Amino acid sequence: MIRCGIIGYGFLGTRLAQALTDYRPRGLLLTALANSKGYIFSRDGFDKQSLPRDLSTHRGFKQDTPLQLIEDGLLDLIVVLTPTNVYTGNPGLTYIREALRRGIDVVTADKGPLVVAYRELISTAKSAGASLLYEATVGGGIPVFSLARHSLRGDRIRSVRGILNGTTNYILTRMHFEGLPLDLALKEAQMMGLAERDPSLDLGGIDSACKVVILANALLSMDKRLDDVYVKGITQVTSDAVMAAKEMGMTIKLVGSIEGGHLYVAPRLVRLNHPLCVHGTLNAIQFRTEVMGELTLIGKGAGESTVSALLSDIEWIIDRRAVSRVGP
Amino acid sequence: MRIRLTLGLTDRPGTLLTALEKIAINGGNIISIIHNREQLTAGYVPVSLSVEFPSHENFERARAGIEASGIPVLSTESLERNIETVLIIGSMGVEKLRSVFEGRGEVISLSYGGGSRSPYIRILFSVPADYRESLLSSLELLAEENNCLVVREEF
Repeated sequence: MIRCGIIGYGFLGTRLAQALTDYRPRGLLLTALANSKGYIFSRDGFDKQSLPRDLSTHRGFKQDTPLQLIEDGLLDLIVVLTPTNVYTGNPGLTYIREALRRGIDVVTADKGPLVVAYRELISTAKSAGASLLYEATVGGGIPVFSLARHSLRGDRIRSVRGILNGTTNYILTRMHFEGLPLDLALKEAQMMGLAERDPSLDLGGIDSACKVVILANALLSMDKRLDDVYVKGITQVTSDAVMAAKEMGMTIKLVGSIEGGHLYVAPRLVRLNHPLCVHGTLNAIQFRTEVMGELTLIGKGAGESTVSALLSDIEWIIDRRAVSRVGP
Repeated sequence: MRIRLTLGLTDRPGTLLTALEKIAINGGNIISIIHNREQLTAGYVPVSLSVEFPSHENFERARAGIEASGIPVLSTESLERNIETVLIIGSMGVEKLRSVFEGRGEVISLSYGGGSRSPYIRILFSVPADYRESLLSSLELLAEENNCLVVREEF
């Protein structure tokens, strides 16, 4: 049995725990749930009834760092859903580093650790024989990395670009269709729970830039950091400019791209019939490959759909472990 | 993509044919050939060929093939011209803009909008493919200095 722990019990953590206890993947037990204040552990695994709403009020709640679960060898797989810090990678980076070092598999939706230390983490995972999967970090539920890893295995990806942030795409969509000024569209997004109270990472293009860094390192074998990305956010975009674009059969979108070794995030004029012209909170990711040419994926970039990406990574690890048990 | 290749040919029979073969096997379609006999230098006659290649890779392979057969490629120049639009959000004088386009691209139309509250400039321009990136980068630099934002077209 794979003993799985979820570190980070916010929106995604609770949804994932519900999904795992709902359909109970074969060969996996959900044995630990942790947040920044402590954790609960069940050797026999949690089921749907025993899942707590709030960890800290649970009888077995232990005020301690989740690192303890890793250091005590109580887990075979951790799902890291910690809040993102794009500059230090922590707290997720510490958990991931330690888990991989001990040969524990890791699935994460936290971009921070990958932006700060992608190469280091991949190399640690390799030497310890552990897996590090991060489908949920880019494009929510869109299967970006698994598509590249499996379906495009024989091809060569030359460039990647996309609409990588649902919040800014929602704001720009409202500006395009309703003529709203940016501050009103932002307020609307905040009221609908689509934007953080501090939206600077989204509006400033930093969230998209993190995704560009992960895509560059993971899909194009680069070794890039956040500093390597030319970043322009949407804070200067006015409704008059969006209307001017509309008059020309175009709109303004925040595009992230990796092309010829250059990484950028910037508002771009996009024709209304362009494959990247998706609206609302949708994300779109386009690959240009050597053999296949252009391939565009469109889907929900955040929220509940991200659970689908986490489940896919978890299933992949279950399969891999089953294969390695059977032997070559 | 359309490219002008200038080769240095020796005055020996079959040299041009060798170069043309390298272009043909890489899918190049020759549009024109001009011998500049009056510009003979160091024993070479510069010959300019306008060629349509299916892709940049085909062009690079043809160039490598020509050079490998001992024929110097004196220069290459893209004959493609892009016509595209750029939006500049913010306020900027026309003189500054003119200096960016001078010698690199041609402004087809320019219009100001947004009034004094949220000004923008819409520019339709044409630029040779070779100069596109340098023109747009200069425009972005100028915009940055003037607290403006350049919104390029994504193709």
